[in-house]
Amino acid sequence: MAVKKFTTMAYNNADEMVFGRAKSPVKAGLDLEIGAGYTTAEVNYAPRPEAGETKEKLVNEYQRITRDIMARMVQVGFPSVVLETEHVQQMTNNPTWGAEVAHAQKTIMEEYHEEYGIKCALRHTPGDIREDKDFLQLRGDKYNVVMESFEAVADAGADLLSIESMGGKEIFDYAVLRNDIPGMLYAIGVLGSMDMEYLWQGIAKVAQQKNVTPAGDTDCAQANTAMFIAGGLLDKNLAHTLAIIARSLAGARTLSGYEAGATGPGKDCGYENIIIKGITGMPMAFEGKTSTCAHSDVMGNLIMQCCDLWSNESVEYHAEFGGTTVQCWSESLSYDCALMNTALKSGNEKILRDLLMASDRFRDPQSYILAYDNAFKVGQAIVKDGNDIYLRAKNAATECCNLLTGAEGLEMTKFETNALNKAAAELAALTSDSEKFMSDCMEKYKAEVKVFKPENYAL
Amino acid sequence: MLIVDKEGILIRYNVKMEKSMTPEDAAAELYPKDELNRAIAEAIFEGEEDDVIDGLKAAIAAGKDPISLIDDSLMVGMKVVTELYDQGVIFLPNVMMSADAMLEGIEFCKAEAGSSPKPKGKVVVHVAEGDVHDIGKSIVAALLRANGYEVVDLGRDVPVDEVIACVKKESPMMLTGTALMTTTMFAFKEVNDRLLEAGIRMPFQCGGGAVNQDFVSTYELGVYGEEAADAPKMADAILAGKSLAELKATFHKH
Repeated sequence: MAVKKFTTMAYNNADEMVFGRAKSPVKAGLDLEIGAGYTTAEVNYAPRPEAGETKEKLVNEYQRITRDIMARMVQVGFPSVVLETEHVQQMTNNPTWGAEVAHAQKTIMEEYHEEYGIKCALRHTPGDIREDKDFLQLRGDKYNVVMESFEAVADAGADLLSIESMGGKEIFDYAVLRNDIPGMLYAIGVLGSMDMEYLWQGIAKVAQQKNVTPAGDTDCAQANTAMFIAGGLLDKNLAHTLAIIARSLAGARTLSGYEAGATGPGKDCGYENIIIKGITGMPMAFEGKTSTCAHSDVMGNLIMQCCDLWSNESVEYHAEFGGTTVQCWSESLSYDCALMNTALKSGNEKILRDLLMASDRFRDPQSYILAYDNAFKVGQAIVKDGNDIYLRAKNAATECCNLLTGAEGLEMTKFETNALNKAAAELAALTSDSEKFMSDCMEKYKAEVKVFKPENYAL
Repeated sequence: MLIVDKEGILIRYNVKMEKSMTPEDAAAELYPKDELNRAIAEAIFEGEEDDVIDGLKAAIAAGKDPISLIDDSLMVGMKVVTELYDQGVIFLPNVMMSADAMLEGIEFCKAEAGSSPKPKGKVVVHVAEGDVHDIGKSIVAALLRANGYEVVDLGRDVPVDEVIACVKKESPMMLTGTALMTTTMFAFKEVNDRLLEAGIRMPFQCGGGAVNQDFVSTYELGVYGEEAADAPKMADAILAGKSLAELKATFHKH
């Protein structure tokens, strides 16, 4: 597949962006159209630990999950739903396992669609298994298994193909624990982008052959690692200003998937998707207050501001007072969507968007930058040098620092401010010569990070 | 665009509660008095590996014993770091950088002395079979080392057989296991059962992504570690003679 870099924004201004509407909606699955004027819940789940013992147990578990969700959707009267199955490693390593699960799920969804007319689609997200015990192995045999997995689930009924790719993580894990901003830029902005471009050309080709949607990726492996390490307001593991710099870098990285053929809807855990939506105009999935079953964040309302799919990230399947977990969470998600869809239908979508945004805008440096107006500015910084993966990532991080430095109404600790100032100074001192940055980083990280193998990136 | 003043909507408690003392001021109160040791401890706090080695060279040239320097300067500097981390004065990356500097300093002292110091205790760490997410394990290992423990790091995606064989060979005071996924953490139960079969009753600290206290409570040797920083605290508690039941009473917070 040809790679087409983004050098302009899809929207004329930030205010054009709302939830439920994207410039380029995506038709998928059973009569669903994502970003076409309404929002839809995307339900995510994980099997109980013991379900992974055999293929039969796993398939059975996913059948229960799927039936539970579909039943609850029609019981409460919701018009559409997306199910996302993030593979446990057995399902990707054994493509027939993933295929059997996809087939079992889609069969149930088809039954409900036929009987009730509920619009629905199935997303499958194979695990990025491209690594062995000690090293990433991004190219070669493991890559081939991932592609076989995509082919198998597409054949078996998956409508949307996604992955959470790992490129750059070996450097990132080292850099983030050492406040190493150039290292984070190299990991996310450069290595991550290079891998994503390589990987997504392959996924897009599979999707084209199988007539399904190459949906999108996320920088979960890096930006979410930073967000989780940063934690809550009182956690002392990483400055939240550094976590949002990592997220801004992720905007430049995740974009690479869409340049290599992905069309949206982006993956839910990509909090950077607000930047991506502004650049590409493609529909995006988000998670926030309804993903507290999986993790906490500091922007639970705000991140809903421009969603097209609204997700719960992941919940382990088990019983709650109100039904099974997937029933409880799918219902919560769908009620949120009903509210957004009411706002869309009544012309009040910008009011609701702004209320969601305003309630978290000043909660944290992370929410401040991901507020749609500021995220749009980060997007503009990226496309300014859209053809150069290093410069655009550097621009994103620099714009993030500038916005925080000039922020009005956002209180930061001295620690956060000091970390921000140090990062801004380090970014300002970086070369504008991409090749020099690449060669300097290659030398430094080959020496410092034992598990770094440049051949993973054809370097 | 709607902008609403945050008053009454949210409170940034970290801003409200921030201590007025800078990390450097707080550290200065904890450094050793001896000037040679103090310089090394300061370099550890700053995470400056070259300065640590320079400080050690100066101390050895002045007649100090390399092995004694590990306890009197390197570990003292690291204790300043871990204490301030526990108090919330400094953040994890500072600990990681200081730990890197400390380990380099220890290697230098061992090479100078031609012998090794006795660690506080030995801990085996691993990531569950089938799971390659290892940043949590790396943090646990670094914090244990920073607190004076010897760490045998089995890495990620470690087969149960390998864990059991290592425990038999190394006889650690504690085993840790981390996992991100619900399906891989199931391996912890098997580790537990195999340890018991072999007649080994030792604390098996488990934590990470999808791991929770309810799950860890289902197997006898399991003690839930909610935070990576719990690992050295649990090791300290074991050294202090705490039983498995007492560890669970302390660390099972929910």
